Amino acid sequence: MNFKERILTTLNHEEPDQIPVMGLIMDPSTVSQVTGKSATNIVNFLDKPVLGKVAKGLVNTNWFWNRMYYGNFALAMESSIQLGFDANWSIYALMKLYEDPASTLGTAMHDAYGRVWEMGTNDRGDLSVDYSRALCPTEAEWEAWVDAKAPLFDQLVKNATGFHKKLADKYSHRIMPIGYAAPGIFENSWQAIGFVNFTKLVYENPEFVKRVVAFQTDLYLRYLEGVMDSGVEVVLGGDDLGQKTGPLMRPALIDKFFGESYRRVAELVHSRGRKFIFHSCGKIYQFLDMFIDWGFDGIITMEPTADMDLARVREQVGHKLALVGNLDVSHLLVRGSHKEVDQAVRDAIRAAGPGGGYILSAAHSHPYVDATRLQWMVEAAHEHGRYPLQG
Amino acid sequence: MSAQEMEKLKEALLDLNKAGVLEVVSATATTADLQAAKLAVEAIAGALQVVGKRFQEGEWFLDELVYSGEIAKQAMEKLSPILCDETQPTQGCVVIGTVFGDLHDLGKDIFINFATSAGFKVIDLGVNVSVEAFTKAVLEHQPVALGISCLLTPAAGGIPQVIQDLVEKGVRESLKIIVGGAALTEKFSLEVGADAFAPDAVTGTDIIRAWSEGQ
Repeated sequence: MNFKERILTTLNHEEPDQIPVMGLIMDPSTVSQVTGKSATNIVNFLDKPVLGKVAKGLVNTNWFWNRMYYGNFALAMESSIQLGFDANWSIYALMKLYEDPASTLGTAMHDAYGRVWEMGTNDRGDLSVDYSRALCPTEAEWEAWVDAKAPLFDQLVKNATGFHKKLADKYSHRIMPIGYAAPGIFENSWQAIGFVNFTKLVYENPEFVKRVVAFQTDLYLRYLEGVMDSGVEVVLGGDDLGQKTGPLMRPALIDKFFGESYRRVAELVHSRGRKFIFHSCGKIYQFLDMFIDWGFDGIITMEPTADMDLARVREQVGHKLALVGNLDVSHLLVRGSHKEVDQAVRDAIRAAGPGGGYILSAAHSHPYVDATRLQWMVEAAHEHGRYPLQG
Repeated sequence: MSAQEMEKLKEALLDLNKAGVLEVVSATATTADLQAAKLAVEAIAGALQVVGKRFQEGEWFLDELVYSGEIAKQAMEKLSPILCDETQPTQGCVVIGTVFGDLHDLGKDIFINFATSAGFKVIDLGVNVSVEAFTKAVLEHQPVALGISCLLTPAAGGIPQVIQDLVEKGVRESLKIIVGGAALTEKFSLEVGADAFAPDAVTGTDIIRAWSEGQ
């Protein structure tokens, strides 16, 4: 079997020749360890008097942004191939640089949906970009934002198609590219408004929340179409519904406000003959039955640090969901011993591998994930993951 | 405030009935009766303890924790003019901030709502707080506890720097330090020299309450 057949067979809950292994975006710090090349870190230029001004201007052009963004993900694909992964997922984002006195650097990224992304350089010297706050905390500000940004949404969808197509054209003969359509409807709804304000609105102005969700659903479906137009055969969606100790919102409320949207997502992906895998961090046992009900084909992540146990998940969902994950990135893939990585891979395969429907991967991308540990993970998968599984 | 009114206030908060809560506290505020205001605070604190227990036991979720905290915050704001002569905290002072390199405040702000309602005077240093600012606040306010919040893994390295500076300034021994946030684990927290790890805001409030009461 080649890598593509291996992934698709697994997602159909049939046993492939061996357990497939997948990369998760690949953090720039991990990529540079593998390839010896660093992703472009625009933070390095921002405080330079002349160069900084030029860099800011360039980054805000569609041409340069796409070129830089693609270049970084091309490196991620190269590193995934070098590590021996069968697939790697990639995500497109469209952001603009703004003067932002509230940010650490005085400059921050604002995305199309209304979030601020704080930029920085991590202790490995690589770019870090993290969601920090909302730009549309009130109903009026949100309405004004989505009215003003209509051209940007069109650009986002168009660029996403081009980005994923370019990666697929260049790499699909060496690895399976997976299109990650994220952030999803839940995150796009609350993160532009802020969690506290969004929560208040859920209780005090549910009609507005329904309007937000309806808008984000339509936009997300357009975005998904754009990702699928690139030719990718598996689509990942992403919405963090959980935090470390449990759901971010009462699951019944999520179902009430977002359930129908998620059903439409799954239906759209299936209507195009593709599989839909859903990414959510956090402790999410209480959503697993909903995922099945909404029509998802699989889930990815299952963070051990959020008490997600692969065997328990498999027991709860059976083979109604394919599972992707869940090797720990807090210790195991950062500084775990060879023996620990080997054992964790064996345990994961034993818990979720029988009957197919399991793809081995790290639980998340993370700057501290060590490339050598990822290599051990792949080697252990090849050693212990051949079907029929032993023991 | 009668026992019946206290119960009504508590029930309204547990029903997430903001209008009901504000109706009771507004009526209390109108009377300018200090004793009634204290009883209202007691009812709010009691309700939030129930909220916290429900959250810890998995019956309630983060949205309910946040919203109940926000209702309590608004209620306390209405009562504060009456209580202003009675600002001596019953539980002591807590200094809290999000470590430098990190701008997230959700967990910190939920903690502040709960700790304030539990009777603590909370000094909020905000986000992206430097080592020097943490130490300066500790020296100035002499809190019973210092809370350090951190969501981003790369920023977590700042926590031992804060603790080391407190050691060097000679104030670490007299201070309890509690850390919390998605980037952290109990193992990490204890390794870097904190006294406790809070997996959530409610547990964090329980821990500082126990410290304040000498447990």
